[in-house]
Amino acid sequence: MPNSAQSPPQDGSAAADADLAALLAGKRDVAPWLQPMADVLAALTTEPSPGELAGEARALAEFRRRTRVPVPRHRARRGTAGLTPRLGVKAAAGAAAAAVVLGGAATAAFANVLPAPIQRLAHEVIGAPDAPSAPQPGPVRGTTAAPGQLASHGKPKASAKPHSTNQPPNRHGHGQPGGGQGQQGSQHAKGQGGDSSGQGQPGSGQGQPGGGEGQQGYGQGEGNPHAKGRYGNPHPQGQRGNPHPQGQQGNSHPRAKPAAHHAPAAHHVRPARHRPAMDA
Amino acid sequence: MINEDFASLLTAAQSGSEAAFSRLWRDANPALLRYLRVIAPGAEEDIAAETWVQVVRGLRSFRGDEQAWRAWLFTTARRRAIDLARHRARRPEAPLDDAAMAQLPRTEDSAEVALEHLSTAAAIALVSGLPRLQAEVILLRVVAGLDTESVARLLRKSPGAVRVAAHRGLRRLAQLTADTGVTL
Repeated sequence: MPNSAQSPPQDGSAAADADLAALLAGKRDVAPWLQPMADVLAALTTEPSPGELAGEARALAEFRRRTRVPVPRHRARRGTAGLTPRLGVKAAAGAAAAAVVLGGAATAAFANVLPAPIQRLAHEVIGAPDAPSAPQPGPVRGTTAAPGQLASHGKPKASAKPHSTNQPPNRHGHGQPGGGQGQQGSQHAKGQGGDSSGQGQPGSGQGQPGGGEGQQGYGQGEGNPHAKGRYGNPHPQGQRGNPHPQGQQGNSHPRAKPAAHHAPAAHHVRPARHRPAMDA
Repeated sequence: MINEDFASLLTAAQSGSEAAFSRLWRDANPALLRYLRVIAPGAEEDIAAETWVQVVRGLRSFRGDEQAWRAWLFTTARRRAIDLARHRARRPEAPLDDAAMAQLPRTEDSAEVALEHLSTAAAIALVSGLPRLQAEVILLRVVAGLDTESVARLLRKSPGAVRVAAHRGLRRLAQLTADTGVTL
């Protein structure tokens, strides 16, 4: 392109200033001496080059970061992506709780500490040890405990519950649990003659009749043998029991039927208010 | 310039529309870079990015027309350039604005560069050969599209001083092109 530069007017006239103002305003149809300047200014306002638009992604990222609205995003996350994890957490929590419960029940079943009906059910379902079907004979001969002890330990209320045989303070006070105690007690009775473990048993036997006969017969079976073996009919009020002669022999037998043993025993120790019903 | 669509674009951008913001950015960023190439050569990309960060921060609270929008944008960019010049000079006691701007590096041999490249870069280089105030006034008037009053507020000068600086700068450009035979 040929050099078209011309000398600008040197007078600084108002016309020249008007031309310059028009040039700055964007007019490109100007005086010939301003044409080179018009070309320069036009070059300053050409279309952007790719390099001048390269920072758009960075600016948009900043725009996104600054203008995002937290609440809708939070709601959207809750509505879709967050639902499944929360359900998963609940399911996992439920599964964990169920596992704990079932595991505990199974452990209790194999430890043979469940109530008799449940223990039997566990025996049938998962092969846990069966609940003792018959009252274990207590230390029949080992009824050497003092009557005072009998009175103090004979708590009909406590003995009314079959599980209470597992509680040392009430009957075995000296430590012997449940169905197994009867067996052990009988062994002690045989070997030692007087075993403190059997002291509580009479009390349990006394309490059984007061409760439901059929359901608590199992508990009665546990308690009565001890009672008979030691004191015969240990009275909860501290009365000397009438040592039942049959109990010493028959109740000490491990195979003794609970009903067979309990009925007489309960009959002997039953409170007066129950007697008419049982007699009937 | 966006002109009649600016108000709707600004509203959309303030509401979070990326497309609207992109349109505003694509309209203003090239002019911003060309202005910064003159007043802060070598740092125009960084200053422009920082300028947009600041603009995005205050976008929701901005009120005004396109003239005010561009004035805000270039004012922000100019302040960032001054901060950079102050930082580079490591002289906190130095006066601001024009003194700091005077310490910015200048492109040497701008006329020779313009002779070789008949392009926007050559025109920018030619304008960079002007005195600082004259160059800024011409760029803000022509590239940024600001009127005299807006440029005066931005530069903290009177409108008359801006007008005089613009005319002097144009005459100087004409003299440069005549002397060097520059054609674009």
